Amino acid sequence: MSPLAEISLVTQRELRKNLRSAKGIVLAALSLLGGSSVALLMVKYQEFKRRELGELTAEQIHELREKALLKAYGDEAMAKSLADAPEVLLVLLLLTIWLTPLLVALMGFDSVAPDIQHRSVRYWSLRTRRWAYFVGKWAGLWATVSAVTFAMDLVIWLVCIARGEATAAQTLGWGVRFWAISLPMSAIWCGIATLVSSLFRSPILALLLTFAAFFVIWVVYLIAVLAGAEWVAYIYPNHYDHLLLHPQAHKLGAGLGGCLGLTALYVSVGSLLFMKRDV
Amino acid sequence: MADENVTTEVKAGEGPPPANGEAAAPAPAEAKGDAGDKPPTGYVPAPLPAVASGEGKRKRKKKDVEIAIRLTKVTKRFGPKTAVDQISLKIRAGSVYGLIGPNGAGKTTTFSMLAGFLKPTEGTIEVLGYEPTQVDELRSRIGVLPQDALLPSSDRVGEFLRHMAALQDIPRDRIEDEAREVLAEVDGKDWWNLRCGQLSHGMAKRVQLAQALLGDPEIVLLDEPTAGLDPRVAYEVRQLIKSRRGRCTLVVSSHNLQELEEICDAACILDRGRVVASGSIQELTAASEEIHVKLGPGPVPIALVRELPMVKRVEYDDEKRDLCVYFDRGTVDAETVIGHVLWVLLQNQARISGVTKGRGLEQRVMELT
Repeated sequence: MSPLAEISLVTQRELRKNLRSAKGIVLAALSLLGGSSVALLMVKYQEFKRRELGELTAEQIHELREKALLKAYGDEAMAKSLADAPEVLLVLLLLTIWLTPLLVALMGFDSVAPDIQHRSVRYWSLRTRRWAYFVGKWAGLWATVSAVTFAMDLVIWLVCIARGEATAAQTLGWGVRFWAISLPMSAIWCGIATLVSSLFRSPILALLLTFAAFFVIWVVYLIAVLAGAEWVAYIYPNHYDHLLLHPQAHKLGAGLGGCLGLTALYVSVGSLLFMKRDV
Repeated sequence: MADENVTTEVKAGEGPPPANGEAAAPAPAEAKGDAGDKPPTGYVPAPLPAVASGEGKRKRKKKDVEIAIRLTKVTKRFGPKTAVDQISLKIRAGSVYGLIGPNGAGKTTTFSMLAGFLKPTEGTIEVLGYEPTQVDELRSRIGVLPQDALLPSSDRVGEFLRHMAALQDIPRDRIEDEAREVLAEVDGKDWWNLRCGQLSHGMAKRVQLAQALLGDPEIVLLDEPTAGLDPRVAYEVRQLIKSRRGRCTLVVSSHNLQELEEICDAACILDRGRVVASGSIQELTAASEEIHVKLGPGPVPIALVRELPMVKRVEYDDEKRDLCVYFDRGTVDAETVIGHVLWVLLQNQARISGVTKGRGLEQRVMELT
C-alpha cells in the first residue's frame, strides 16, 4: 500500500470524526452563527453607508475604499485590485483569517494527543507508516477547518446575493478566491497544531501549548513589524495575505511557496519527531 | 519425620532450562528447546504455508522464515530505569509462545517492542525477518492485541474494523466480509453498529481481538488477552486462541499461568527485565522428568517406589503429603512411570488424592521469580 493511500484513509477518517464529534458540530454551528451575524451586521452597515454616503458617487466610494486598502496593505496594485471586491467579502476574508487560528487550535489540539494518551495510536502504528499517520492527521484537520470556513463563507455569499450587495458572479468569483486564499494560511496553522498535539499525551496540555505557540508566533510577528524586519514577520501565517491577495502572479506565487514551505517545515518536523517517539 | 524427608539437592543436569542465553521456542510438533548464544544467522524455508489472502506483490516481498521472531540482546531503558535487559529470544514459526513474569518483569515492554510500539535502546528485533517498524513489509502479516489501548470511542465497531481492514490493504470488495467474519469469530456479530465507547470491557476486549485477527496474520501478539474477562468469556477467548494454533505464530503475554500452560508450546519466564528460564512447557514444568502424587492419610511406601527401575530419585514432603518421583526422561515417559508408581502405591494401601506431571508452571514461576 502506498503512503498516499494510507494518508488518504487516515485523512478521510479524521474528517469524518471531526465533523461528527460534538466539538466539531458545536464549532461548525458557532462558525455558521458567526458568519450569519457578520452577514447581518454588514447588511446594517451597508444600509447605514448608503444613508450617510448617499451623496457620493460609486467612483468616489471606490476611491475611498482604494485609499483605505492602500493604508492597510501598503501596496498600490493590491489596493486597486481589492477595491473592486464587494466590501462584505473583504470583511469576511479578514474575519476568516483572524478566526482560523482559533478554530484550528480548538479543532486540532486533540488530533493526536488523545490517541497517544489512550494508546489508540497503536492500532494505526501497525498499519500505517508513522509519518503517513501524522500527515493524514494534519490533512484531516486542514480539511475540517476548510470545510467549516467554507460553510461559514457560503452563508455570507448567499446573504450577499440575496440582498443584492453584489451580483452572483461577483460574489462567487471573489468569495471563492478569498476562501481559497485562506487555505494556505490555515494549512500552516494546522501544521503547528498537529505538531504540538503530537508532542503531548494530555489533550489539555496540548490545547494550552497550542494557544501558547500561536500567541508566541503573533508576538514575534508584532515585534518584527514594529522593528521593520519584514522577513521575520512571515513567521506569522496570516501575514501571507499580503502576498496571496496580490494581483501580480509572482507575488501570489511567492505567497503560495512561503505557505507551502512553512507548512512542509512544521509537518516534516512533526512527522520526524513522531516517527522517533515511542507510542 | 517430615523435614528430614524433604530433599532439596539438585543433581547435575537436572537444573532449570537454559536462562539468560538465547531462549527458543520449540517447533510446534517436536516441542524441543534450542538454546545458544550465537547471533541470528540465515533463514530456511518456512514450515507454514503461504497466507491465502497474500497478493502477488506481497508474496514477492515475503521472506520465508523458520524463526518468526528473533530478539538479540535487546535492552530497553526508560531514563535511568532498565525495563528489559539483554533479552535474546527465538520464537519458531507456528508455535504458541508465552511471555511469563510478575508485574514489572518486562513482559509488556518486550511485547511493545515486538509490535514496534517501542524502540529498543540496544539490540535488534526481527519479526518475519524485518524490523517491527517496517510497516509495509509486515502489513497484514502481524496482528496485535495491545494490553491497554482503548478503541476510538466515537467509532462504530464495524466502521473501526473496516478502517483497519482498509489500512491492511485487504481488497476493497473483501473489507466488509473480513471485518464481519472476525467479529463473528469473537462472538460479536451483533455489535457492528454499536459505538466502541458503548462496549463493556469484555466486549471491547473481543473487538480488540477481532482487529488483531483481521487478514489472517502470520503472527498474532496477544498481551493479556483474558485480563478482566469473566470466566465464560475468558474460556471462549482461550478456545479462540487454541483454534488459531497451527495457523499462525501466537505470542501470549499473561499472568494467568494455568492459561499459558494450557495453550502454549513454549514460554520464557521474565523477572526484572531478564529471562530467568525458557523452553518448552514440558521443560519448564519438568513434566517429562518428574511426577507428583498427592497422598491422603495412610502409609507412604517410599522405599518401594525408590526400588522401581525407572526411578532416579524420590522426595516426599510430609507436610504437603506430596510424593515427587524423578525419572530419566530419555528412557521412559511420564505415563509409564505414573502407572508403575500408582501400582506400587495401591498395592501397599496408600490413598491417592491426585497425580500431576511435572511441577506446574505456577510453582516453577514462584521458584524462579
